[in-house]
Amino acid sequence: MTEPAFGNGSPAVSSILRLRGLTKTYREGESDRAVLDDLEATIDEGEFVVLMGRSGSGKSTLLNLVSGIDLPTSGTVEIGETDLTTLSETERTLFRRTHIGFIFQSFNLISTLTVAENILLPLELSGIRSGQAEEQALSILERVGLGDRGDSFPDRLSGGEQQRVAVARALAADPLLILADEPTGNLDYETGRQVLTILTDLVTDLGKTLLVATHDRMLLDRCDRVVTLHGGTLHDGAPDFLESSSA
Amino acid sequence: MSLLQRSSLRYLTQHPWLMGLSVLGVALGVAVVVSIDLANTSASTAFQLSAETVTGKATHQVVGTTGSIDEDVYRRIRMEAGVQLSAPVVEGYATLQSSDRTFQVLGVDPFAEGPFRPYVRAGGGGGIDLPTFMTRNTALLSQPTAEQAGLQVGDTLRVSIEGRTIPVELAGLIEPESERTRRAIANLVLVDVSTAQALFDQTGRLTRIDLIVPDGETGEQMLAGIRSALPEGARVQRSETRTETVEQMTRAFDLNLTALSLLALVVGAFLIYNTMTFSVVQRRGLIGRLRALGVTRRQIFRLVLGEAALLGVVGTGLGLLLGIALATGLVQLIAQTINDLYFVVSVQEITIAPWTLLKGALLGIGTTVAAAVAPAREATNAPVSTVLQRSTQETNLQDLAPKLAGAGVGLAAVGAAVLVLTEQSIILSYGALLFILVAAALLTPMAVVAMARGIRPVLGALTGVLGRMAARGVVSTLSRTGVAVAALMVAVASTVGVGVMIDSFRGTVVSWLTQSLQADVYVQPPSLVFRRSDATIDEAVLERLRQVHGVASSHTVRRVSVESPLGPTELVAVEQGPETDEVYQFKVGEPEAVWPDFGTKNFVLVSEPYAYRHDLAVGDSVALQTDRGMQRLPIRAVYYDYGSDLGVVLTSRSTYERFYDDRGVSGIAFYARDDVDVDALIADMRGAVGGMQDVIIRSNKALRETSLKIFDRTFTITTVLRLLAVVVAFIGVLSALMALALERRREFGVLRATGMTPKQVGGYVTLQTSLMGLIAGVLSLPLGYVLAYVLVYVINKRSFGWTLQLSVAPEVLGQALLLAVAAAFLAGLYPAWQMARSSPALALREE
Repeated sequence: MTEPAFGNGSPAVSSILRLRGLTKTYREGESDRAVLDDLEATIDEGEFVVLMGRSGSGKSTLLNLVSGIDLPTSGTVEIGETDLTTLSETERTLFRRTHIGFIFQSFNLISTLTVAENILLPLELSGIRSGQAEEQALSILERVGLGDRGDSFPDRLSGGEQQRVAVARALAADPLLILADEPTGNLDYETGRQVLTILTDLVTDLGKTLLVATHDRMLLDRCDRVVTLHGGTLHDGAPDFLESSSA
Repeated sequence: MSLLQRSSLRYLTQHPWLMGLSVLGVALGVAVVVSIDLANTSASTAFQLSAETVTGKATHQVVGTTGSIDEDVYRRIRMEAGVQLSAPVVEGYATLQSSDRTFQVLGVDPFAEGPFRPYVRAGGGGGIDLPTFMTRNTALLSQPTAEQAGLQVGDTLRVSIEGRTIPVELAGLIEPESERTRRAIANLVLVDVSTAQALFDQTGRLTRIDLIVPDGETGEQMLAGIRSALPEGARVQRSETRTETVEQMTRAFDLNLTALSLLALVVGAFLIYNTMTFSVVQRRGLIGRLRALGVTRRQIFRLVLGEAALLGVVGTGLGLLLGIALATGLVQLIAQTINDLYFVVSVQEITIAPWTLLKGALLGIGTTVAAAVAPAREATNAPVSTVLQRSTQETNLQDLAPKLAGAGVGLAAVGAAVLVLTEQSIILSYGALLFILVAAALLTPMAVVAMARGIRPVLGALTGVLGRMAARGVVSTLSRTGVAVAALMVAVASTVGVGVMIDSFRGTVVSWLTQSLQADVYVQPPSLVFRRSDATIDEAVLERLRQVHGVASSHTVRRVSVESPLGPTELVAVEQGPETDEVYQFKVGEPEAVWPDFGTKNFVLVSEPYAYRHDLAVGDSVALQTDRGMQRLPIRAVYYDYGSDLGVVLTSRSTYERFYDDRGVSGIAFYARDDVDVDALIADMRGAVGGMQDVIIRSNKALRETSLKIFDRTFTITTVLRLLAVVVAFIGVLSALMALALERRREFGVLRATGMTPKQVGGYVTLQTSLMGLIAGVLSLPLGYVLAYVLVYVINKRSFGWTLQLSVAPEVLGQALLLAVAAAFLAGLYPAWQMARSSPALALREE
């Protein structure tokens, strides 16, 4: 059964992301398993939404669909005026390149590029001229506190530093929407808090829209809304298991 | 440089070993192809240059039927036809005793030379006394050549020709006016025409008469006048005809060498495929990240191809340089083979043809990029949402193995169809062979899985858990091991195939020699081309030899090159001896009907290659230019002959004498009386002709041994090419194993951390690589047999027209297995050592 989740369920003028009837099934042996089942959702521009759910509930799948990395079995994914499900693979890639910033759990920096080059890469891919791009990259690198590490390669950085670079890279090309998939999953508590602080501060300052999939309760106080993915659909609020474990 | 390109370049430089080995693989492949091409081109250029040197500006030549014409023809052309632009020439080859080199001796008339060969004029202007040059045995040499040989004007040259040594005075030096002239005359001994006649024992005869005939109607009229002045048997031909004929002679030889040289490049392509696949598999995560950041599939494809192109460019550049170096060694081998089989050529330096280098470059870069297309496609197909784990990838390849095998079977069928459906094309035959090689490579992954699984319990029983792990490892990293095994298999199978072909050829030649060498003693003058001993034995020598005590009987052989509408034809005239019918084994024809008529009726027998080359059969006829005009002689039999791939026309001495004025003898075979020891007879014969023309007197056994020595020498270059292909394959295996070791560093780290000693890790790696070698060796045997079959029954037949008996010596198969295991074992030593000494803590941390 379809269940309106976050947002007001109808396309608002300021809404930036609209998911309609989103279903994703995977073939498992002889049967199909629906990870997302007729999911509906809307996120407004500038909104900071936290996505929660148990491991294997489909959070990463949902983020992959939102970013156009993967395609749903049925339903639509609209970002701004664009329905990603109508685009070809290459068109989705080009869209992602300019409109979406992605932060991964395992940092996913390009090991063969320096820190500064990692941040420059989305800018270069978006066709921003080198002088301007370098300025932009340097500025964002300063904002994440790594202004002096631009020439280092990722493997010389700590986990926290690498994730800060990933945050900078996601924001560098001035995307419409920032997606983060368990950004603190590979970090210790303290380092995770630092990274989340930097991320949320930046997003708030820049007025960006942020959707974070996480188990971290720290974000519950800072976000605009919390939704939980359970049984293939979204539910408002934090999940029960978090409430009970935090009690 | 874009960030993507920078990332790509850094990846390459972070893996210097792998990239270095790939570059080396491409370099070696290109080097082999380029060196063979350069060596072939150099031999051909050397020949062309020497042909141009002696032809000069002549447009036409008057030639005779069996290599010479009466000098009176020159008088007739000059006086009766009134052709002033004509010059007499006596030409041949000789060796100088002070040098090992073969020289071209050119006898000219200085008064007629002016318009023909400018360098003669240049030499003539250098203070040479013409009366001396024309009346005494004197010669001119190129100044740089004389300097090299330490000769000065006034020195005596000892010129050896067909067993006779004649002293000639060096009367002057020709100073070359240009680099081209320097090369052209480097091997030239210029003498007066009368001196040349004395040297070649051709008194009153000329090799040819050079003419300069203008274009158009005047020229046609002049040619008509000349033709009317010619006696029966003499004719006018264009000057280029000779060079064209010679090029045709070695065409099949050149083509087969080129095809064999491409083998190293094919093996090199496997290596590149392996490296690029490795680089893609190792970077699947990185590629997935790039894709997530918005890098398109097309960009990834271009990136991987760009990397391959870079490796190709660097490897090809090195390969071209290496090829030039290698060519200097190979050219002498090739020149030796051409001298043994076809014609006299002396190659003093390499000709670096830009077209050869361009071809090499295109081939090297093209092959590298083509080999990288599949890995590049694989890179673009990596789903961006799920960064695949290695095990997923391997499972996919294992699932894919049957499909690849199916494609292999299909490709093999196409190859077989090409072989069956194309009749004579050698190029298509090699194309089909390439299909079969690739088909075998496609079948390899499935065969590797099956064999590794089959051997796992055996290895387990022999070496415990290490053995089971080693066998399992081969399957679990199939994307690496499959390609490495395929590359090694192709290289080893090629050595098996070529080895079996050579053995079969040799076996056939041995039995043919046993059959055809029936007499006890063979005599012939020394010849510069082993298989075309057409020099003439002095009549006095013949007489002396016949009278030696102990000779029961003898029969002579005359070998001449005569003109035919089918091109220059080697005509052999034999006296029928008591065992002639055993010497010549018929492929087609009735011996009982042929031999009784042999001396009495006019007909010929043709060798198998001659019949094949010219599509002739019993009942057809061969037209030959004779001293009695063009004669058409019926073919009564086709016989087996492995002496010349150009083919031979055989007739009786009496038929020959009916149509030709020549009474010379090229060789003579003697039968010893039953009570005479053959070695003693040979000693007596040598004693009898001491001080006369130097002739080679050999026993049946010695001649057979010499023939086989020459046979083996002609295949030296083939052996070198086979070895080079194995070297490239070795590098391929080393590269694949290095890639594997690098990929599995963490796995080894875990093994070390859980208690495996460095020695055990080393043993494990070595066991696995040896197992890969064993699998490649076993797989190479059937493929090698198929290659041998195609080489013997299709390619040899289409190239040379010979029927060979395929014989597989068990030791060839044993050697192949040993070669594969040894190559893999050796290639595995370094990775094993590296893995064994790596720190487990470091390996685990790096992950």
